[in-house]
Amino acid sequence: MSQREYHIVVLGSGGVGKSCLTAQFVQNVWIESYDPTIEDSYRKAIEVDGRHVILEILDTAGTEQFSKELYMKTGQGFLLVFSITSMSSLYELTELREQIRRIKEDDNVPMVLVGNKSDLEEDRAVPRPRAFKISQDWGNVPYYETSARRRANVDEVFVDLCRQIILKDQRDYQEPTSKGTRDGSRRHTGRSKRRRRGPTCTIL
Amino acid sequence: MADFLLEKEEVDKHASALVAPLNIQKSPKRSRSREYGHIRQSSSRGTHSIKSQSQSQSQISPPLTPRTSREGLPDQPPTQPVFHNYLRAFYHFHPSSTVSSSTDESSITVPINQGDVILVHSVHPNGWADGTLLASGARGWLPTNYCEAYDHPTIRNLLNALTHLWDLVRDGENGDLMVFTKQDYVRGMIAGVRFFLERTQCLTRDSSLILAHVGLRRMRKGLLGDLSSLVKTAKKLQEILETNESSVPVFEQLDELVLRSFKLVTRAVRFLDIWAQDAVSLSFDLGEALNNRPPTPPSDSADPSVQPQALSNQNGEDGVSTNDYAPLVSQESAIATQEESGSATTQPPRNLHRLSVAFSIPSEADSLQSPLFPPQSQGQSKRFSVTHRLSYTGKSQGLRKQNLASERLDGARDSFLGFIGSFIGLHLQSRSSEELTLTTQQSVIACQQLLAVVEEIWERDSRRSEPLEQARDTMYARLTELVQATKDMFSTSESNIGEEVLMPDSGKQLVAAATSCVRSAGDCVSKARVVIERIGDFEFENAGLGLSETIFEQIGQIAPEEDDQPEPQPEQQPEPSKQPEITLETDKPLPAPPASTRPLPPPLVISESKPLPEVPLPSPPEDNRVSLQPTQPPIVESPTAVSFRSSRSSLPPLNQLPIPHLPQPCPSDHTQSPASATHRFFSKSTRTDSVNVSVTDSSSTYRYSMRGDTNSIHSQTSTRATTPDQSPAKAQSSQALVSSFGSSSELRSVASEDVTAVEEHLLETTFLHELIYNKEGQVSGGSLPALVEQLTTHESTPDAVFVNAFYLTFRLFTTPVELAQCLIDRFDYVGDSQLVGVPVRLRIYNVFKGWLESHWAPDSDSASLGLILTFATGKLRTALPAAGKRLAELTSKVTEVRAGALVPRLVSSLGKTGISNAVFTPSDSNVPAPILTKSQMNALKASKEGRAQCSILDFDPMELARQFTLIESKLYCSILPEELLALEWTKRNGSRAANVRAMSTLSNDLANLVADTILLLEDPKKRAVIIKQWVKIAIKCLELNNYDSLMAIICSLNSSMVLRLKKTWELVSAKTKARLEELKTITDVGRNYAVLRQRLQNHVAPCIPFVGIYLTDLTFVDVGNGTTRQLPGESGCDSVSVINFDKHMKTAKIIGQLQSFQVPYRLAAVPEMQEWMESQIHRVRSSDQANVQSYYRRSLILEPREPPQVVKASPPTSDASTSGALSADNRTNSKDRFEFLNFSFSSTNSIKDRQI
Repeated sequence: MSQREYHIVVLGSGGVGKSCLTAQFVQNVWIESYDPTIEDSYRKAIEVDGRHVILEILDTAGTEQFSKELYMKTGQGFLLVFSITSMSSLYELTELREQIRRIKEDDNVPMVLVGNKSDLEEDRAVPRPRAFKISQDWGNVPYYETSARRRANVDEVFVDLCRQIILKDQRDYQEPTSKGTRDGSRRHTGRSKRRRRGPTCTIL
Repeated sequence: MADFLLEKEEVDKHASALVAPLNIQKSPKRSRSREYGHIRQSSSRGTHSIKSQSQSQSQISPPLTPRTSREGLPDQPPTQPVFHNYLRAFYHFHPSSTVSSSTDESSITVPINQGDVILVHSVHPNGWADGTLLASGARGWLPTNYCEAYDHPTIRNLLNALTHLWDLVRDGENGDLMVFTKQDYVRGMIAGVRFFLERTQCLTRDSSLILAHVGLRRMRKGLLGDLSSLVKTAKKLQEILETNESSVPVFEQLDELVLRSFKLVTRAVRFLDIWAQDAVSLSFDLGEALNNRPPTPPSDSADPSVQPQALSNQNGEDGVSTNDYAPLVSQESAIATQEESGSATTQPPRNLHRLSVAFSIPSEADSLQSPLFPPQSQGQSKRFSVTHRLSYTGKSQGLRKQNLASERLDGARDSFLGFIGSFIGLHLQSRSSEELTLTTQQSVIACQQLLAVVEEIWERDSRRSEPLEQARDTMYARLTELVQATKDMFSTSESNIGEEVLMPDSGKQLVAAATSCVRSAGDCVSKARVVIERIGDFEFENAGLGLSETIFEQIGQIAPEEDDQPEPQPEQQPEPSKQPEITLETDKPLPAPPASTRPLPPPLVISESKPLPEVPLPSPPEDNRVSLQPTQPPIVESPTAVSFRSSRSSLPPLNQLPIPHLPQPCPSDHTQSPASATHRFFSKSTRTDSVNVSVTDSSSTYRYSMRGDTNSIHSQTSTRATTPDQSPAKAQSSQALVSSFGSSSELRSVASEDVTAVEEHLLETTFLHELIYNKEGQVSGGSLPALVEQLTTHESTPDAVFVNAFYLTFRLFTTPVELAQCLIDRFDYVGDSQLVGVPVRLRIYNVFKGWLESHWAPDSDSASLGLILTFATGKLRTALPAAGKRLAELTSKVTEVRAGALVPRLVSSLGKTGISNAVFTPSDSNVPAPILTKSQMNALKASKEGRAQCSILDFDPMELARQFTLIESKLYCSILPEELLALEWTKRNGSRAANVRAMSTLSNDLANLVADTILLLEDPKKRAVIIKQWVKIAIKCLELNNYDSLMAIICSLNSSMVLRLKKTWELVSAKTKARLEELKTITDVGRNYAVLRQRLQNHVAPCIPFVGIYLTDLTFVDVGNGTTRQLPGESGCDSVSVINFDKHMKTAKIIGQLQSFQVPYRLAAVPEMQEWMESQIHRVRSSDQANVQSYYRRSLILEPREPPQVVKASPPTSDASTSGALSADNRTNSKDRFEFLNFSFSSTNSIKDRQI
């Protein structure tokens, strides 16, 4: 299979460190100088389960509100990032998630809930069970806690998301005729897959 | 014939170089048999010859071609602290004459002499290094095992500077000559020399060391002479670049530049040798130099393996009988004779002389006794060759591995585990005591071997890894325990010696000890690995210690003597020394003695197809011969002296003033008389010239020696003149003389090329060594003093980009007070010399002036105002009265401004590149007339009075686009650079990025307005018309280069709430859709806005770029780049982190781009229309409907979702129930289905419905 290219959108309110997450991910090796103005600044080739894929990270950092939808349209997978030190940053994600579902017209968009700044445990404002509960409510979306600063779990979230996209791709490819999207069995398979993935959800 | 065969074979093997890299064995016997394997096998002797020969069959393959390794060069930055860029030869190495003669020019193996310093470009895994000899500029392959890393802290900065220069020149050869149009790059060398002299306490002429030591004084002058000629060359290069486009002289100058730099460094190395040797005898404090002194030659004459060649040359065949270098010596001397044109006999005296004292031959008693070289420092631990980057150049199969530390470690560990495993196994079962004894011995020895390897790794590591040390100690303790346990057992079992079998129980303790030994060994090995990874792999010199072999032999020897086995006691076991002992016992060859044998493969031949890279290599072999000549006379005062400065034909007859009558120590006497100054200037220069003689310089001296012949008389006389110049008083006065130079600016331009000027240059305090340049020659990092220095250099106008970036961003890495203090410090330490001090002080004043005039930020900067004022009225006024007055005025002006006066804020965007702030006047004739009819104007007026409603449909799209662009441009042009720093615009509370935020809001408002105007209408036809109008406006925005508005409109048209209005879109013409598609490609987010970025590149202002891109870029520059970076070349813990100025340069670059578009549009404003637009925007903004959710809801009301598959005839809200609309419906639904295929689920209807 040829090399797939996927767009991953990183979303989250300001100050949650989502750009750090992106920057950490795309600079896999220590680069003396990171130049975000060039074309490949946000692209990274990774291998997931033996498949070579290219990820292009779309980070809404710094852009106006109106262009968010442009990103969402382009994206196939979404990282919803909040800071574990701010409860409101988690709440704000709910709206973003709704927007994604609306734009994608899809309940099961590949998505990962990310609690960043796990290094600031002493300032934690979002209890882990709380975030986990929300991720469950969202349809068993995997929940990770990351530290962009310490580069903890950074690759993992992107790989998890990429895996979801690939799985979804395969599903869509294999069952192109079942447009009865409302029939429950279909959704159930999706759910059960999610559930199976549940235990892999790493919490550090 | 033989030669031919050999060569042919070499060529053949060369082809496979990449596949099977050459395996060099350190063991002299093996290597030698490789060497002679084909020609004279009989010469191989000894027990190992057969084995080694069989090995040799598969080993021969030349190193990688220089070309390939060269390509990798940029990846080996000097920033890697552990890999040394420089090697120093401590053995002679001359490729065999046969091969070198047969290949001649294409031979790429360079001969090296003891003491040569080599700039390493790459190291092949086989141990050959592609290097350039600093002494000759010759490039080629050389054996690393003949060399040692050269990285003395004193000279490190200079070496780093040379590496940097070399990289620049290499880039220059590829056509990138930009950096040479300025002389900044030479400053690194100057700073390096300065640092070097400072560290050796020889900076000033009247330093006690310089006064006391004639040799050092001369070397110092020579060094300055070299430096001056380097500066001169750089200047010449600059001139050529400025005037001449022809590349030929440029490349000549580049070669010259490199050669001069090499020469300079070579001399510095010699200087260091002398210094290291003699400074001690003069009982000067050497400080760390003692610890980190440059590699010493093995001067332990008791050890035959380290007898350098010089001795063998002298001894002739005598020394040969004991070692096996008989064939060599004759050969080597033959080469020497050939290559140095019969000067081989003069070589020993040269070595004897102080020039190479540090590398003095072992037979010389002095050097043997030198307090500087304690035997330990020459111990085995130091005597391994370095194979830089070896671990990175990829592992290859072959026996080479044995010499690599990592492989050794593995080997030692494996054999240890093997033995200890069988040891434990033995105890678990019961065995005969004899067998047990043997195994115990084997285990202990293996353990010792492992410890020895670990020890060596530890020794090798400059940082002396503590964990490793601990692990080693632990392991050692365990080993001792094990030995003790074994001992105990044997002593107890001695009573019943008759028993053949020991009970397993009795071995319990032993097993436990062994197990803990294994555990600690594992720990130790892993720690050692970490260290190897950090410092890079290296090769052991004492390669003869093929571990497993040795162990077996060792065992064979020790086995009979049982009592030896418990030997290892902590006190008696210094591991490093133990190892060689073992080797000696077993009669294993010692660390390869390159001088005594030929451990090296046949010199490498490179085929014609793979010539050497175009390294500056101006000297053919004959040149070498000539150039070596002047180096022979060891006496500095020699009449054959070659003069540097003598190349100046314009020199006055210097012998007329042989002795500079040093005048009254008042410098002012001379400043007024240029003639006398010039006189002395030349006399001084000649004196310096004569010093140069003492330097061995092979290639670059060639041309000088020619010139030198004609001028030798001058040199001679002037040489004499130097000698009386010893008294401190005279030195003082000459110092005064120095500062009297450059009293006039013309004189300066002449003098700047001169030694004295360089000397003054050097006397400056500088932080240049704390500055980092990137590959483009831009400053990428530095400490604050270093950056300030860069800001205020005297020899060149500071780079505008740099200055701008500095002004813009300095508050991010320092405080205004700190900056002011740093500038004042610079003012202080630069002094008031005419040549350097005054220009620098003026620049310091200018920096203050620029800051206060154009970059003053009252909020943050006012704290420094007091400091600046004190400086202005104090020091500055004393030194430069006018400047002081002006600066004081400025400080009060700034205060006034603060008190309420207007700041011309536009000044702060002076950094705009190239575009002037053309003030727009509406009356300008070029301004297009507004497209606005009378009735339209009336409509606007009516709308304002609330009498009527206007729609965007009522106006020309162009005019709408123009007026909105004007509104937006006003905001855009008022964005201040400060707003874009440190993510200021993202701050939720108290953000000072008012304009950025306002603009962002405006764009959002526009997007909302688009959605609002469309979703306001119930009739799909009308909606379609509105969409069409917006597309037209968007097109006009594009024509106006207003990308920000374009983006907002397109995004809004593309938003889900508009895009899902399928009935509406059906009514939009294909033409409009096609146009929209075009616009969409421009605003595509893919590939990091590649299309948009491409368009913005070199775009002509006025233009409103999509600000979001800049904001994203700035965000990622901020989070993706560290605030500090490490100074290169400093290893490990002593590395200094400095400001990562690269980050700020990047920030400034982006802001500069944004600023470059901050040009007002030349368009006539229609205030009425703008007012109407603003009122519309205000209406949208103030309504609580201006959010995505409510728009989406409205969208759903207008065109409700339809259940897929079910085609509903007419939805309630659809009033377009014509047959055409119905068919449109059908089509929509089929399209729906199609989309569902893409997304697989679209079952959100229930949710959506609930939302409604």
